[in-house]
Amino acid sequence: MRDIDLTVKIGKMILKNPVIVSSGTFGFGEEFEDFFDLNRLGGIVSKGISLKPMNGNPPPRIFETEGGILNSIGLQNPGYKEFIRNRLPYFKNLKTHLIVNCFGNTEKEYVELARRLDGSPGISALEMNISCPNIKRCGIVFGTDPRMAHRLVRAVRKATRLTLIAKLSPNVTDIALIAKSVEEGGADAVSLVNTFRAMAVNIHTRKPELGNIIGGLSGPAIKPIAVRMVWEVRQAVNIPIIGMGGIMNAGDAIEFILVGASAIQIGTANLVDPKTGIEVIQGLEKYLGRNKINCIEKLIGAFG
Amino acid sequence: MRLQTEGVVVSNKRIKTVYYRLGINCPPIAEQIKPGQFVMLKVSDDSSPLLRRPFSVYKTYRARHPEKRKRGLLFILYKVVGKGTRIMASMEKGQRADLIGPLGNGFTLPPLPSSGNIILIGGGMGIVSLYPLVEAFGEKRCFVFVGGKTEHDILCLDDFKKFNSSVFIATEDGSLGHKGTVVDLFLSEGKRFRRNERYYLYACGPAAMLKALAGTARAKNLISQASLEARMACGFGACWGCVVKTKHPKIPYQRVCKDGPVFQLGDIIWE
Repeated sequence: MRDIDLTVKIGKMILKNPVIVSSGTFGFGEEFEDFFDLNRLGGIVSKGISLKPMNGNPPPRIFETEGGILNSIGLQNPGYKEFIRNRLPYFKNLKTHLIVNCFGNTEKEYVELARRLDGSPGISALEMNISCPNIKRCGIVFGTDPRMAHRLVRAVRKATRLTLIAKLSPNVTDIALIAKSVEEGGADAVSLVNTFRAMAVNIHTRKPELGNIIGGLSGPAIKPIAVRMVWEVRQAVNIPIIGMGGIMNAGDAIEFILVGASAIQIGTANLVDPKTGIEVIQGLEKYLGRNKINCIEKLIGAFG
Repeated sequence: MRLQTEGVVVSNKRIKTVYYRLGINCPPIAEQIKPGQFVMLKVSDDSSPLLRRPFSVYKTYRARHPEKRKRGLLFILYKVVGKGTRIMASMEKGQRADLIGPLGNGFTLPPLPSSGNIILIGGGMGIVSLYPLVEAFGEKRCFVFVGGKTEHDILCLDDFKKFNSSVFIATEDGSLGHKGTVVDLFLSEGKRFRRNERYYLYACGPAAMLKALAGTARAKNLISQASLEARMACGFGACWGCVVKTKHPKIPYQRVCKDGPVFQLGDIIWE
């Protein structure tokens, strides 16, 4: 079995492989160029972009817990204009899909940003962040209420022809319900999960470990919950799922694919081993070869 | 160019109490590293602890070093404080060590070696990242101020004494040298520094020390650079987790790992 087909389709995008690097863990790509050839990735999700620049949260913003990381970066980003002028050109020379993660404080801001990004060449898809746990007013309000999520996605859908992905929050009782509502709103795919709202306290100082008090938990610690959520969403919607949550190696990625993810995102692992994406691609090829499967699509949802 | 690479542990010795020195053969990083830059070391093969740990590089030996067996070696000093450093203390000769480096912008040296006098101020482990400066200055005289909680926390004295430096020591409990903080000691020695000469001040240590130093008029009048410590996740600028507040007009929160770890002391906003 010489040729293994790793391509997957998400909306209008054909990814050369299902391995995407996730928002907030890969900067704007350049930080990783010394470590490996970025063209080998299925896709890159940019750091989250808003219309106006954002300063982010006060430090400390990072705290390590058992098998995970708490972060409260707070969506620090240079804003739309700076992104278009100084970050986007870098991607024009890359042969991988650029997915721009974007968010706003209001429906109007989301729509305005989507409309502007729609006209910028070099962008394959938008990933709407309706789930960041670190900003009080941002997406999470939209991401936890099915009706608001539906309405927001429908409004953004009208503003762009780009592939539209809704990134879901795990901080809900029924994630399948939210997934269904964004599917009905016109999303081409869903990506899940964002981080879990969490906190840690220093018992010596009796103060929170994060400047923002509450942060988002990511890493291997959350993987089993994320897998369960992807499985639940798979049974509720027909659009493709991009699965994520603590993927550290190919085995973890396969678990998500088996329960129904068409593609996966690598997040926290990029910060520890910048080449994780490449290792996961190689591991997927090996697994398929060993199991005499010539096409990754046959693995999607092939569980139970 | 920064890279992720595997080195081999050549030595791992306790130097005193909870302080250890780890030697790694890693020519690609040893060859490139500049004073004030750091590496991220992976301490565990599984996810406990998950993140790499940042360490400033203390001594390095380049490919042209006269002693063949030292070529390509780099050394880091560490204090055993938690799970990660406890695992490090058990690393053995011959074991592989996964490193990312060289990272950060390092110190800026004076335009000409002869253009001014050098003052180094290090608190606790901070002295480690200042050591490469003394090596870089070679024969030039440096005023070195070293501080720690007790005499057991004063590191690298012998290294500094090998060079043409005047060493001043402060301990908070008075067990060695001046009793008090290293910043107090620096201020009390102020008369040594002549007003009409140019001084370059390099500092590294805990936030409280740097904050106190930044508040002194003396430091303000000097060209002062400080190397900062921060909790880091990636170490190479991707996550924006290790920021410090600065006077930067557009982006107040700058990354310690990539925009630093060395900043102009006066640019930091202490909170």
